[in-house]
Amino acid sequence: MNPMIRKELRQRMRERRGWLLPSLYLLVLGAAVTFAYFVTTADRGRSNIQGSTVGVALFLTLAYSQLALLLLLAPIFSAGSITIEKEQRTLAGLLTSLLTSAQIWWGKFVSSLLFVLLLLVTSLPVLSMAFAFGGIGPWEIFSATVTTVLILGCMSAIGLYCSSAFQRSVHATAVSYATVIAITVVTSIVFFVRVSIYESAHHLATHGWYDIPLNIRAPMYVNPFFFLTASFAPPKQLYPAWITCAGVFIALGALAVALTLRNLRRRGDL
Amino acid sequence: MIDVEQIRKSFNGKRALDGFTLHVGAGELFGLVGPNGAGKTTLMKTLSTLLPIDSGTAQIGGLSVTTQAREVKRLIGYLPDQPGVYQDMSVREFLEFFADAFQLTGARNRAAVGRALERSGLAERSRDSVEQLSFGMKQRLVLAKTLLHDPKVLLLDEPATGLDPIARIELREQLKELQGEGITILISSHILSDLEDICTQIALIGEGRNARDTEGHSVIQLRAPQARVRIYEIELLGDSVPAVNILDSVAGARLLESGADRMLVEITGTDEQVAALLRALVVGGTDVLRFDHRALGLEERYRLAFQGRRP
Repeated sequence: MNPMIRKELRQRMRERRGWLLPSLYLLVLGAAVTFAYFVTTADRGRSNIQGSTVGVALFLTLAYSQLALLLLLAPIFSAGSITIEKEQRTLAGLLTSLLTSAQIWWGKFVSSLLFVLLLLVTSLPVLSMAFAFGGIGPWEIFSATVTTVLILGCMSAIGLYCSSAFQRSVHATAVSYATVIAITVVTSIVFFVRVSIYESAHHLATHGWYDIPLNIRAPMYVNPFFFLTASFAPPKQLYPAWITCAGVFIALGALAVALTLRNLRRRGDL
Repeated sequence: MIDVEQIRKSFNGKRALDGFTLHVGAGELFGLVGPNGAGKTTLMKTLSTLLPIDSGTAQIGGLSVTTQAREVKRLIGYLPDQPGVYQDMSVREFLEFFADAFQLTGARNRAAVGRALERSGLAERSRDSVEQLSFGMKQRLVLAKTLLHDPKVLLLDEPATGLDPIARIELREQLKELQGEGITILISSHILSDLEDICTQIALIGEGRNARDTEGHSVIQLRAPQARVRIYEIELLGDSVPAVNILDSVAGARLLESGADRMLVEITGTDEQVAALLRALVVGGTDVLRFDHRALGLEERYRLAFQGRRP
């Protein structure tokens, strides 16, 4: 086993946030799902409620809330990962050992991603509630989970890049959060503003996703919530939206990995 | 064992190393001194494979630190100027992790950790958290970690900084022991008395280049007599200005320092030339109160080499 992974996991689980964050995460997720349940059932008479309607509502609430929470938590684990070695002056010791830059990166990446995956796993009991109501099948759960893991893998890689590029954790974390905001909020705003301008310029209303020109749609392919939405399509309709998003996120993640390894190999900023 | 030839390294256009050259033989305990910003840490980082060089060559044990970095890492143990520790690990976990990082597995790992605990004197505190150790103990732990993989060369950047006198003495003793085991040690330090006590030779570095002392040496031989160049301290009755003028006429004599009634003179040559200097002073009408041969200590050589160069 890569010594970095063992060290990172050992250190993470000793931190207070090792148990505090999963607890808070479950509390917030539970509250969101409970809220969704009451909102879904409040409008209708008790006799008219379809179990599948509640199940779908709970599942969608869970999937989006989970993604939002994990996007907020991922930078905490990844962005401070390399900067902490710089701050406590241990990076030189790692880089002059026989560990390669790739092993150091992999250890940091796996440990931050595993912690995020631990949070995903802890939400399974909440997910089982939605499953019990019906309306969703294994495919939806599978595709949503794979998509969430892909997004979080990419965000962890970006967080690690920030961590390799900055000297202090606070700066790396701030830039990681700025990236999260850029790909979620900024892309949405740009998309909706451009759609409005396009519709008023052409005096038409766009009804389908593919009615919108590609150059206007493009920013949404980097939006994690759009990527998650695309994953709810049946398997035969994953192309082009889901596949494009997956390609974009994998490319972004790969770029972040390459830049992080370059920064680690440069080593001059210890 | 360590061969550095005309090494250059710049940061954002500023030269940190500017043609520095150094040769350290196997088994030597070699000092490196220079003012702050002279390039000592950059040199250490370069030799430890942490920094690429712009030009020149740097080899350890015949291996290039730039193109054979992995092989060089097996040979060296590097102690940075401000070494860090993982505060939340136990002493044993800390050593085990670095033994793993040096690919020591199974029995070799256990043996290396046991030896390191013994060497650092921390065997009884192996279960304690690193955080609980004193600064001196942490420094011992980091040095023990540096020795885990039995390096042939130790690169120590200011290892005594922040240590109390007892810990400094212990460190000096440990370094002498390591040299006795055949390990080549390159150590940079501002504590010149420590270096003078343990080093075989000391290189002077200033502004990234080989600096020279008043005798023209860029490497000071501490364990060999300085034969041809001698320093004399001359105390005079009255003003030293006429004596300074007389010095110019004496072959091989050079003024190093002068005060109101005192001069420090370097003379290169034989005993006859020393006698000629004294005679010239007396014949020239100078009242000489004292004419003493002085063996310059490292501190004084350092001061004379670098005075006025402090950044």
